[in-house]
Amino acid sequence: MSDNPFLIVLVAMVGGALRVSTPFMFVALGECLTEKSGRVNLGLEGTLVLGAMCAYAISFHTGSPWLGVLAAGGAGAWLGAIHGYVCKLPRVNDIAIGIAMMLFGTGVAFFFGKAYIQPSAPRLGSFSLGGWTGSPQIETALEVNALLIVGVATALLMAWAFANTKWGLIVRMSGDSAPAARAMGVSVDLVRFFSTTAGGFLAGIGGAFLSLYYPGSWNQGLSSGQGLMAVALVIFARWDPVRCVLAALLFGAAGAIGPALQSVGITQGYYFFNAAPYILTLIIMTISAGSKRAMRDVPGELSITK
Amino acid sequence: MVDVAESLIVTAIGPPKDRWIDFSVRFRTGAEYVVIPLFALALSGLLFALFLLVLGKSPTQFFELVVRGGFGTAFSIQNTLQRSAPLILTALAVAVPARIGLVMIGGEGALVLGGFASAVIAIPLVMGKASPAVTLIVMASAGIVTGALWVGIAGILRHARGVNETISSLLLTYIGIAVMNFFVEGSLRDLTNPNKPSTMPIGEAYMMGKITGTEVHWGLAVGILLAITLHILLSRTTFGFAVRLSGGNPRAALAQGLPVGKLVVGCCLIAGACAGIAGFFEVAAIQGRANASLAAGYGFTGILVSFLARHNPLAIIPVAILFGGIVASGGLVQRRMDMPDATVLVLQGLTFVVLLTSETLYGRFKIFQVKGAVDRT
Amino acid sequence: MSVAAHSAGRAMSLQTVGMTKVFGPLVALDDVSITVEAGSFHALLGENGAGKSTLVKCVMGFYSADKGEVLLDGKGALIRNPRDARACGIGMVYQHFTLVPSLTGAENLVMSRADAPSVIDWKKERRALDQFLDRMPFRVPLDVQVSALAAGEKQKLEILKLLYLDQRLLILDEPTSVLTPGEADEMLGLLKGMAQRKDITVIMITHKFREVRAFADEVTVLRRGKMVGGGEVADLSTEDMARMMIGDTQIRERAVRAERQPGPVTLELVALYADDDDGLPALEQVNLKVHAGEILGIAGVSGNGQSQLVEVLSGQRPLTDGRIIIKEEPFEPTRNTFHRMKLFGLPEEPLKNATVPRMTVAENLAFRTFDRPPTAKLGWWLSPGPMRAKARELIARYRIKTPSPETEVANLSGGNIQRTVLARELASEVDVLIAANPCFGLDFASVVEIRARIMEQRNRGAAVLLVSEDLDEILEMADRVAVMSGGTINYVAPLGETDRATIGKHMAGH
Repeated sequence: MSDNPFLIVLVAMVGGALRVSTPFMFVALGECLTEKSGRVNLGLEGTLVLGAMCAYAISFHTGSPWLGVLAAGGAGAWLGAIHGYVCKLPRVNDIAIGIAMMLFGTGVAFFFGKAYIQPSAPRLGSFSLGGWTGSPQIETALEVNALLIVGVATALLMAWAFANTKWGLIVRMSGDSAPAARAMGVSVDLVRFFSTTAGGFLAGIGGAFLSLYYPGSWNQGLSSGQGLMAVALVIFARWDPVRCVLAALLFGAAGAIGPALQSVGITQGYYFFNAAPYILTLIIMTISAGSKRAMRDVPGELSITK
Repeated sequence: MVDVAESLIVTAIGPPKDRWIDFSVRFRTGAEYVVIPLFALALSGLLFALFLLVLGKSPTQFFELVVRGGFGTAFSIQNTLQRSAPLILTALAVAVPARIGLVMIGGEGALVLGGFASAVIAIPLVMGKASPAVTLIVMASAGIVTGALWVGIAGILRHARGVNETISSLLLTYIGIAVMNFFVEGSLRDLTNPNKPSTMPIGEAYMMGKITGTEVHWGLAVGILLAITLHILLSRTTFGFAVRLSGGNPRAALAQGLPVGKLVVGCCLIAGACAGIAGFFEVAAIQGRANASLAAGYGFTGILVSFLARHNPLAIIPVAILFGGIVASGGLVQRRMDMPDATVLVLQGLTFVVLLTSETLYGRFKIFQVKGAVDRT
Repeated sequence: MSVAAHSAGRAMSLQTVGMTKVFGPLVALDDVSITVEAGSFHALLGENGAGKSTLVKCVMGFYSADKGEVLLDGKGALIRNPRDARACGIGMVYQHFTLVPSLTGAENLVMSRADAPSVIDWKKERRALDQFLDRMPFRVPLDVQVSALAAGEKQKLEILKLLYLDQRLLILDEPTSVLTPGEADEMLGLLKGMAQRKDITVIMITHKFREVRAFADEVTVLRRGKMVGGGEVADLSTEDMARMMIGDTQIRERAVRAERQPGPVTLELVALYADDDDGLPALEQVNLKVHAGEILGIAGVSGNGQSQLVEVLSGQRPLTDGRIIIKEEPFEPTRNTFHRMKLFGLPEEPLKNATVPRMTVAENLAFRTFDRPPTAKLGWWLSPGPMRAKARELIARYRIKTPSPETEVANLSGGNIQRTVLARELASEVDVLIAANPCFGLDFASVVEIRARIMEQRNRGAAVLLVSEDLDEILEMADRVAVMSGGTINYVAPLGETDRATIGKHMAGH
């Protein structure tokens, strides 16, 4: 069994999917919360990169990777707060602001991160989902980090909160009909500010995963476009947190094809498989954009689909 | 010109008071569109200076080095102009779709693929010893067509399926860079070059020359010419009017029977062509080959340039030169002040955020307002 | 939240003393003092712009009045924001619904409570809601998303929400504009019953005399921000109320209808089908014929496909099936066709549908002519001189009040924006005119003028399709009346052969 290349690739893909999907999951859940409140934050790519850098830097300085994770969340919350505050001003284009924040966040990350490219920082530990199989290869292939569990738990919590808590319903109200929310005394701008900040927090944690677990290092090429893909992912998941997790797994699988093939020696077409997630995202966006079902579930205040 | 005479006669027939009112209305509206971006620029400069102070660096030294490295000597001015050329073009690639209401940011991808296409199509021509003039024309055409098609895809997706063009153009940029890397590292790699993976060089003989008497290549002249042409296109042709109408209110445009979808795709093709030409010049006048250096960020800086110029092609020229100077002085600043080259990225990002935030100031200052009769509510 | 049965005498009385509100140069309210007795059904009457909405918004806490105070049950009340108003027991039903579309009725009701629990126990809440509904004079399904409810049900849900929140003074802002006459009568009747039982007090903003006569006990009339009269409805005639509403200003002659025989069929709609933005069918087999020299008015409650029909005729929405025939030729929504067939439009909400707000008045006036001589030379080169000259001419002819042709059209008042669109569309010979709610929200003088211009075109021989949610407008202007209900035309009759009641019945779908 251990020599069957097909099985190895399959298991490698499953493990890879679990690993690669985790940052997607966090960014998507963060964006899901933000979009449910009626804002689009396209700047999460910058948040991801800044979060990755902060996590690595703080882990390096304090020796604790989990402090790094918290710092990453804080950095993400900071960028989210800027976005949330600026977008409430009249006449500000929230899509353009997202792009600007992406450039700003990436710039700040590269600026301060130059010093951390060489040194090695303590990483997050892992445990294996395949420990019970007794096969060392499967055990290694299915190693994941606790953040995956945190991500799934967050999704379940969000889904429950949207239906059963006052704050969850207030977020949905702000995103679906701002006039109705205001008539009920809700400060829509404040709700969106907090949602965007919290969304940034989650996205920052996704970045921490990248630099402190998989791929597990900090450099300037760490993320290209994952934050952006997560935005498309949320549309595809029709703004449901649980579907976001499933979509993240799908994207994770797409991103894991390349490395999985590499593990059995197929190295050609590396860049082509690099392009696969983007192409998948584009296809998914095209399908969702014309889909009537997606249009029915969209929060009414979202500018991206108006 | 008949038009000038006509308009003089017509406005002369109207009472002089009307002429003054017209002028003052236009002046005040226009002034708002210049004063506020300048204010935003100044404010972001101030914030960046604070940033430097907190880091223990001297803001005056920074700005001094930028002025010196960008505009201080004849050499540095030419370096600046060299860098402005692609910026003008990538900014136009954002400005034209912006006039029809799109936030299209695929300039980086179109530049990369346009440059790549020109480098690739040159290979058989160079090997077949075709004349440099013909080669360059074919290369330019390849760059234009490839760039146009690449951004055109985003336009078609937007028109046919309503896909958000910001996200799709950004995705296409990533895809374009990956496609280029795929070929450059793979089947089209120049195997005689063991260092950086790139396509075969086109060779000194085939490279585009410099504008006579200067050290700046022809890309700058083409860029300026295109900016002027597109400005005239947008402000003085029926096509331009239709574009502005559709960008101002697509529903009204449809009610007037305008083919909004075709106009959207047309603007995207023009935009992609501009970015594609920029890629061609990067290859034909500077690099001589296609490799990862094509993705140097000109596309992204171009976005900021266009927004700062309020998507006006004429205003793009001075703004591009300003940013060309900032980019050109980057190396000097980095060495002298011991700062990472991401410094320019931070400055650009900060400027962009402040600029977009300053949009909220429009309509708030009485001095720019000329209101009509007020309605009761 | 109390689930005790209603006790008599819960209704509240309201008094405003000297309310004044100024917006810059505009005095929206000028020392307005009104008295609303507990348990009464009080109408607030006035034309558009008279100040009714402003007064009510001050009471509701949306605006803070510059001067004046509000007394509830004789005691001064401090209302700084809508939340204070709700805490005092005042609730308002708005013209545009304030229900959240993607939430269910139950979610909307529970969330509207100031004391909504942090974690919602749905079993408990549903039980309480069921008990509440049992006491109400009407029911609405609560587990359906609000977006799936009909307009009449949404209106009822809005009112249920206020009763659920135990509001004792209900303010209705033009509540019947989205209901069929039958639904309106039913709802107002139920509320009047509750008022007579002294459960609630009702203030209804309206500009329709019929509703005032049928339901209100008392009326207050506002004009240009001032309180100009009022009293028991039984003591006032409709003429009295009209005079108070409009004042003694000389009104331009109402549009004069020229006697003429209708000409040949100019516009024909054959079995039109179209979807709305959500992909649901909006037009289902619409058949209609409009003759030259007649106004065909389409009446109907909003939301029955009228907007989609107008969009189809102006090229903003594609047909899924059917044909449009103009002067015996098939119609395509291209610029050339519009020009050749002399088809022009006055869409509703002109700022949203017919103008580019950031373009100048001169440019907006040139939308129909920018690609033709004299503005366009050689078909593609634009000359600003002729454009400006034509603009000046139109500004003078249609009396558009603007500082300059170079002013951005967004800076104009609503009436002048509509005049700009009118000037542009009616400047040349018109064969077919599609007009939708052309006078909505405009002041009286603009309304009269715009109707006169439309009538002018009809007298000249144009075929006019007038879609309006204001039945009075249709009854004044149309030669023939059609009713649109459920996405199709279910009734057509000449004006002389029908009456309000019959039209109302068809508007309700019978």
